[in-house]
Amino acid sequence: METILLGFQTLATPMVIFMLVLGLFAGMIVGSIPGINDNIAFAVFIPFSFSMPAEQALALMVGVYCAAATGGAIPAIIIKVPGTASSLLTAEDGNAMARKGMAGRALGIAITSSVVGGVASSIVLLFFAPSLARVALEFGYIENFALAILGLSSVVGLLRGNVAKGAIAAIAGLLVATIGFSPVTGFPRYTFGNMNLIEGIPFVPLLVGLFGVAAMLDLMVGIFRDRKNNIALSKLPEIGSLLLPRALMRRLLPVWVSGSVIGNVIGMLPGAGMLMAIFLAYDNAARRFRRLYEGKPGETTWGNGAPEGIAAPESANNAVTASSMVPLLSLGIPGNSTSALFIGALALHGMVPGPLLFSQHGNIAWMIIVAFLVANILMWPIAVTVIRTVSKPIFLIPKEVLVGVIALLCFMGAYSDGANVFNMWIALVAGLAAFAMRLTNIPLGPFILGLVLGPQLESSLNNSLIISRGTWLVFIDPVSHPISAGMILASILLWTVPVILNFRPKKIA
Amino acid sequence: MKILALIAALGLSALAMPAFAEGYPQKNIDLVVPFEPGGSVDTTSRIIAETANTILKGGGLVVVNRGGGGGIVGQTSVAQAAPDGYTILAMTSSVVTNPLLKGASYTIDDFRPVALYNLDPEVIVVPADSRFQTAQEFLAAASAEPLNIVVAGIGTSHHMSGLAIERVTDATFNYIPTSGFGAQVQAVVGGHADGALWPLGEAMAQAESGGVRLLAIAQEERDTSFADVPTFQEVGIDIPIFATFRGWAVPADTPDDVVATLSDLMKAIYENPAYVERMTTAGFKPAFRDAAAFQALIADDAARSAIIIEEAGLGQ
Repeated sequence: METILLGFQTLATPMVIFMLVLGLFAGMIVGSIPGINDNIAFAVFIPFSFSMPAEQALALMVGVYCAAATGGAIPAIIIKVPGTASSLLTAEDGNAMARKGMAGRALGIAITSSVVGGVASSIVLLFFAPSLARVALEFGYIENFALAILGLSSVVGLLRGNVAKGAIAAIAGLLVATIGFSPVTGFPRYTFGNMNLIEGIPFVPLLVGLFGVAAMLDLMVGIFRDRKNNIALSKLPEIGSLLLPRALMRRLLPVWVSGSVIGNVIGMLPGAGMLMAIFLAYDNAARRFRRLYEGKPGETTWGNGAPEGIAAPESANNAVTASSMVPLLSLGIPGNSTSALFIGALALHGMVPGPLLFSQHGNIAWMIIVAFLVANILMWPIAVTVIRTVSKPIFLIPKEVLVGVIALLCFMGAYSDGANVFNMWIALVAGLAAFAMRLTNIPLGPFILGLVLGPQLESSLNNSLIISRGTWLVFIDPVSHPISAGMILASILLWTVPVILNFRPKKIA
Repeated sequence: MKILALIAALGLSALAMPAFAEGYPQKNIDLVVPFEPGGSVDTTSRIIAETANTILKGGGLVVVNRGGGGGIVGQTSVAQAAPDGYTILAMTSSVVTNPLLKGASYTIDDFRPVALYNLDPEVIVVPADSRFQTAQEFLAAASAEPLNIVVAGIGTSHHMSGLAIERVTDATFNYIPTSGFGAQVQAVVGGHADGALWPLGEAMAQAESGGVRLLAIAQEERDTSFADVPTFQEVGIDIPIFATFRGWAVPADTPDDVVATLSDLMKAIYENPAYVERMTTAGFKPAFRDAAAFQALIADDAARSAIIIEEAGLGQ
């Protein structure tokens, strides 16, 4: 308790609080610009942080990290372009809701869910970090493989209508993930001698292309169609009230709880990442929605503006932010690539994350933890302010101008990742591919899932089999690897239960 | 300046001034880090730049991150840059192995070493609750049956240090390529592998906090911070030194006087007490080798890597 107070004491100086708030504003804006994410923001910022006192620099980073995951939802809802990868699922139901004239409601759900998820994981970080970090250590190669299988199984929740098209997308994602080094042999594959591809297709420009450039093409087609039909160009939707009615909050509470739990668990596991968390939470919420609400009067269908479709991924992605600091602060193991940048920032100030941080720089370690809690609480008013002041005028821009703005932001964002012109080509090609997928109704979600999980599947399978000396049964051994066996069982259920449920009514008929 | 450059170009390098090149620098110098911000090369480069900018007059040292391609993108850009001293590469061991293993278009001869600032010796690491108390026990077990060893990736210098140990002892290893240092710590501290081959700089924090135990260190003398950890030679591994290096290099045709100026600059940085303090707390032991000594070290490393790559069939 005394140590927690020490954290508050370090945080509660005007400059540190100012930096935290500045970080929240900056993160919210950075997150809401497609193509620029918290990683790029940190890359720009780390050099400046050198000359700042450590507590100010870290408070600013905490603010950016927390707010970026929330800011990504703003353009996802209003123009269906996720500002960050973590909001890619929010774009479906969120934008559908906005098109129905309920942009304010969708944004309100997104912000509130983010705050709930963020506060939940900050509390976990505050009270349970050391004990949970020990549990996270139980995850070895075998458990990681089972987790990747479970993540891939969540594709079931993403499939609507044509199952074959979903499967094609997921397999395409897995195939694209094989470009670059083989983690098994160290040899490059499918790079065609291009050095830019040696570590795989650079992820940031790829995502910028798949979402931003594709959305730009979509908007352009829409404008041409409207002109041809002599329809006056429609303005983007107005933003209404951001407050949620009590009944809706009660309805979403179970989704927030499950989203936060999933985000917290996934966030703590090194290598799992934010995208895995949002996919699992989304899949879970889809099942719940279909069971309880779909088909009822006054309810929409999944993917067409269901509030759960916004609440689940947004609570999960913010729950990842603080929980990814659990293994970082207590063991020195970063939970994801963004929290890994905290290591760099700490090292610049002569500190090494891990158990020694608490004994040698206890005030800083506890300040980071406390800052996560404060940042997530301050997020609500700051998100509202940003939406009302900065975002709103941007979204009142005419569509023709918006196309140009998105194009500029996308290609700038792609280029700034490594200052490489080649990345702009990747964004363009990915955008054309995603646009073609949209025209043929091949879903993008399973593609991203395959892309993200491919490398993890391949290397964890290889390494598991090295350790097990080639025995495949190791994954379902309930004695030596109960966690893995449980996750494999859960994956099997995810696939088979819908099939069984499908068969039953036919028998009755 | 023009005359000096001309003399250098004519190969009359003996006549060039050994000390500070006149009128250099006149503008900012780019220090290209061929990796994303936040890693060890980036961190050390920023610490160096901070000190350098208190010494340099006429222009500052600016860290430029050009990541991608396992370092190849940034390294190639320096190999092709104008040899005028305004582009420096933060040079690591991967410059030696990338052309051999990954088909990078440059060769090691496209660079001219300037100075070395850090040597990070390889250490054998086991989990804190491992059954191996000493390196001898570890090697005996590895001779009986292969041990599972975590390395950063196949073809990395850490993988090669394992191959080098296999060459000179009876030990055999199964290499478990694990990208990202976080995932490697997870695997070792969580007891999912028998051990790991890590650079000391990265192993230090986990060793001090009791997550892992160091069994042996690949340098000629014991490390002062870990005086109870024996050297490779003490435990019967006949490898005097195996270390990843960090230093500076410039494009091959850079004039002698510019190289000398930069080498002297690094020496001045190395002699700055605040710099030594800052590097040490960040986990990097400061060192200094001038251009000739660094060149010799790289040549040694290249020769040894070529043999290991050839024998293991890793080359392209």
